[in-house]
Amino acid sequence: MSAVMNRNTQPSKYGATRGAIQIKNVDKIYDPEGAAVKAVDNCTLDIPAGEICMVVGPSGCGKTTLLNAIAGFHSITSGEITLDGELLCGPGKPQAEPGSDRVVVFQNGALFPWKTNLENVAFGPIVQGKMSKKEAYEKARSLMADAGLGRSERNYPGEISSGVRRRVEIVRALMNDPAVLLLDEPYRALDSLTKSVMHESLLETYYKNKVTIFFITHDLEEAIFLGHRVVIMTSRPCRPKKILEVDIPHPRDYNALTSTRFRELMDETMDAVHEEAVKAFEAGEKEG
Amino acid sequence: MTTDNSKTGVGQGLDQAAKAALLRETMPFKTVPDATLRRIADLAKEETLPAGTRLYNEGDRADDLFVIASGKIEHALGPEAEASKLVKMVKRGDVIGWAALLSTKQRRLATTVAEADTQILRINAQKLRDLFQNDQQTGDMVMSRFATMIKEDYTLPDWLAKTRSIGEGTVARSEAEVPVSESRLALLGYRLGLWVKSPKPYLMITGFTAVLLFWHFSVDVFEWPRFRNMPGLVEVITEWLSRDPIYGLSVWTPEYYTHIIVSIRRVFIAFLLATALGVTLGLFMGWSKGVREFVFPVFETLRPVPILAWVPLAIIIFFHPESTVIFLTFLASFYATALNTMLGVDSIDESYSRAASCLGANKWQVFRHVIVPGALPFIFTGLQISVGVAWFSLVAAEMVSGEFGLGFVINTSYTMVKYPTIVIGMITLGAVGYTTSAMVRMLGDHLMQWRVRELAMGGR
Ligand SMILES: Nc1ncnc2c1ncn2[C@@H]1O[C@H](COP(=O)(O)OP(=O)(O)OP(=O)(O)O)[C@@H](O)[C@H]1O
Ligand SMILES: [Mg+2]
Repeated sequence: MSAVMNRNTQPSKYGATRGAIQIKNVDKIYDPEGAAVKAVDNCTLDIPAGEICMVVGPSGCGKTTLLNAIAGFHSITSGEITLDGELLCGPGKPQAEPGSDRVVVFQNGALFPWKTNLENVAFGPIVQGKMSKKEAYEKARSLMADAGLGRSERNYPGEISSGVRRRVEIVRALMNDPAVLLLDEPYRALDSLTKSVMHESLLETYYKNKVTIFFITHDLEEAIFLGHRVVIMTSRPCRPKKILEVDIPHPRDYNALTSTRFRELMDETMDAVHEEAVKAFEAGEKEG
Repeated sequence: MTTDNSKTGVGQGLDQAAKAALLRETMPFKTVPDATLRRIADLAKEETLPAGTRLYNEGDRADDLFVIASGKIEHALGPEAEASKLVKMVKRGDVIGWAALLSTKQRRLATTVAEADTQILRINAQKLRDLFQNDQQTGDMVMSRFATMIKEDYTLPDWLAKTRSIGEGTVARSEAEVPVSESRLALLGYRLGLWVKSPKPYLMITGFTAVLLFWHFSVDVFEWPRFRNMPGLVEVITEWLSRDPIYGLSVWTPEYYTHIIVSIRRVFIAFLLATALGVTLGLFMGWSKGVREFVFPVFETLRPVPILAWVPLAIIIFFHPESTVIFLTFLASFYATALNTMLGVDSIDESYSRAASCLGANKWQVFRHVIVPGALPFIFTGLQISVGVAWFSLVAAEMVSGEFGLGFVINTSYTMVKYPTIVIGMITLGAVGYTTSAMVRMLGDHLMQWRVRELAMGGR
């Protein structure tokens, strides 16, 4: 169990050596003094290194809260979260330090509009002092070119389509060689056609760099298509209600969507999610 | 599913007839006689670009042009091309790489990347021109069709959209080496031309004319009672331009410029101080809850106090009239800048700071890379207000103290019943004030290219 033993050992079943997240009995209560809102309740989840872990659950159940706790944007009330055996937050350390080992891609996108796409991508290593500007730009350029984004280098994020922006943002995250990518409904605002392109591009990226992906979504099809596992959360306060193994082999392409197995998994997820959504709805009725 | 058809359309090899048929589909070669078209087809080399291949980059040497046979290519002009539409998807029958034919550029204006597996014909521009040397009539026709196509598709400035003319090859070559400064000038001319062609200047002129006409008619023509003592348009203009002004102030008298310069100097100093202190205070008030809780209540209590109410205290504190005027001018600008800057920091989406911190930025780097640039649009809105407010307060301050300046002119002219001079002072003040705020706006646009371009995308 020691931190040292867990590191640099055998690759996980997904072929990655780092990025294992363990969430143990985590509670998160907003505003403990006043009207306490319990957003996360005794949540335990074990994500092996290199897994694509999809998280679905009713609106407002506490998914973002959990992600923010891993990222270090806010504290947890109790429990602990570790990354590769090292404590991120837990007893005595309520809030994790945000760091480039766990990069977040935000729901509405957070490329700096005042920097060109290239400057955005190169930002991480430069501010960390890991690379000289020149090296960072070189690496950024080659990563962008690999992702087919070379021609947007000199544009500002405001000048490119939202789909391309998401891709740039993911490249910006990968630039830091993170152990974990935390994605909070990154493709929510995209049309379904763009979305499908995004999925393929994300998977392609994933096959090249086996990072752990913690991916929140409302789109069940997206969840099953991308994920190794789909974690279905209960209505607020959230905790895993059901964890679905998606036994469709990777690498996947769009043919997977039409397979019978995919349909079966969809039905199974749908039932579980629907049940929670009804609960959330009824809870909302009571409150309102 | 997307990768399994990567072989389609590749390798069959187009024969001369197929190439000619393709060329016939294009805009520039549509009307070329058959015999010539076949010879062009012989120049055309077939190539296949896998998806993602970059055909050329902006700034590369331009030697060849390309006709797309199948697939598609994204054609993205660089911003310096000044085209109305920068990005375009080209497909079968489209011709790209025409920079090779332009009379002023031999560098690529665009970056082109194959979106899908794409089959193209490559035509060497020099060889094409050589071919046309023997058939100048067709050559000139093709070149002019090229020019039309380019202009239709991209609305480039004329000087860029001009193709070489075939007849005078030597002239064309020397034209190709237009020095940079000259092309800058051409660009400026082009923009000016656009402005003149747009409704803006005429609306502006109409606006001014309406006001002036109203003035003229109400005072001099209808002689409305309320305007009885008001100096008329003609009287003011005559006085203003007179070499020997009745009331002693016109564009020909040196004092006129002394007043202007003294006022500008005061505003300049006050504005700089207000900007330096206001932006700093605003940034810290926005950034740190602690600073805000200390400062903001005090700030909000002082802010509604009008400049004129400060005059007695200012005179007691500063004594020196110049400092008094500058302090009074400074005050309102400072409030405007500080408040806008603070709101600017508030307006920054939290996810930018979060993104920066998870990319490894420390607190200070977040401040520098997120807070400051993120607040910049609001800061510049604040500065535009602030420079206007500075002129505003200046007049009040100069009425109280000092012996020069436009406010002083207005005030003394009133007590000495020099009415036309009052109006001269007012108009001058307006013009100078307008210029300064335009300068601030230009500086803002210059510093925030990202914003200018973003707004341009929104069609503004
Ligand atoms: N800063 C906060 N203070 C108090 N309550 C909060 C705060 N942030 C979130 N909450 C509450 O916690 C609950 C969970 O919010 P969270 O954003 O984690 O949900 P979510 O699952 O991400 O929802 P969605 O799917 O709509 O994004 C919600 O009821 C929300 O109102
Ligand atoms: Mg959320």
